[in-house]
Amino acid sequence: MLVEIRNVSKTYESDGTRIGVLDSIDFSVDDNDFICIVGPSGCGKSTLLRIIVGLEKPTSGEVLFKGKAIAPENPKVAMVFQNFALFPWLTVTENIELVLEPKVHDEKQREEIACRYIRAVGLDGFEKVYPRELSGGMKQRVGFARALAVEPILLCMDEPFSSLDALTAQNLKDELLMLWADASMPPEAVIMVTHNVEEAVYMANRIILLSPRPGKVIADLRIELERPRNRKDPEFYRWVDKVYSLIV
Amino acid sequence: MVLPKATISEIIGLLEAINDAGGVEDAARLAADFDLELDEILPSIDGAELLGFVVVSDGNIELTGEAKRLLDAGIQERKKIIRDKIAGVPIIKELTDRLLRSDEKRMSREEVLKFIQKRISAADVEDYFKIIINWTRHAGLIGYDSDSEEIYLLSGA
Repeated sequence: MLVEIRNVSKTYESDGTRIGVLDSIDFSVDDNDFICIVGPSGCGKSTLLRIIVGLEKPTSGEVLFKGKAIAPENPKVAMVFQNFALFPWLTVTENIELVLEPKVHDEKQREEIACRYIRAVGLDGFEKVYPRELSGGMKQRVGFARALAVEPILLCMDEPFSSLDALTAQNLKDELLMLWADASMPPEAVIMVTHNVEEAVYMANRIILLSPRPGKVIADLRIELERPRNRKDPEFYRWVDKVYSLIV
Repeated sequence: MVLPKATISEIIGLLEAINDAGGVEDAARLAADFDLELDEILPSIDGAELLGFVVVSDGNIELTGEAKRLLDAGIQERKKIIRDKIAGVPIIKELTDRLLRSDEKRMSREEVLKFIQKRISAADVEDYFKIIINWTRHAGLIGYDSDSEEIYLLSGA
């Protein structure tokens, strides 16, 4: 078991009233899990992801990473953000090298690792480019390369395709799945947050459905569709329908 | 079509969608699939056609053998295939030749904007500038240094 989310709840105090965000979330993540957490907006799914990576504390419950309490500085966990979160004054290579600094002390070695993951996502040729000169798709490829460069065991992604136009998103989903299928590439498990059911069925081998706020797990299902998946396949649609039927 | 306003990522995304539909698809249906207006998806279709990845007839978009080869390939192999295609696009060939002949192998952004304006009579030359750089960087032909505001030849040219 890689990660255990144990009975995690989160509440906020606002003007003297308590607002429940997450309610008793309990599941574990295994090797080779590609989990999509799906739920309506405001259901607390991004909060849950932030708790899983240790960026936020739950009000009650705990998250264990390989049996130990998760900490934000855990080098085995990486995050991809919806809005890329790149430093505009750093080049593509520098953005990636920056996250390696705490771990890899040799400059030359940092450069080599950055170079390897730049190639893996097809960004070679863009090494010295600043984020402002990149299209959205290219920016998110930097986001992927930066996350993979720390060679994480667990990769977390918060709506990684939702700031991209639909065609670019399609291209990046396929490229990410290529990297996932490549055994020589990290990570061992992925948790991705999305509001898009079709996207979840396309990407995941396991979907965890959250209810509207306060978010509670209403279903945890394995998607038994062969890869590569085809969005036009009737079997694909049966799965999409199945997930929708659990939401309403 | 001199140059469409579509990035390489958008064009590949489009090819993937046509492939899912069985290798040939109607333009209107493709647009609906992606929740796009027809005129929003047309630049990507034009781009795919210009690069030789689709054949368009009567609103039907069909993948070529090259497109299938591209979609079956890994990320690095895809780059190689696209590189060769982009190098053959006339406006990009012309720009690369201009750079090769120039003294310092560099050209100012201003000059490039004029170059584009002469060939594409559109008001939004800035957008086309971005697209040209997007394509030529993919192809390893031309890069852009935003500090000196100059384009320059990459080693692949």
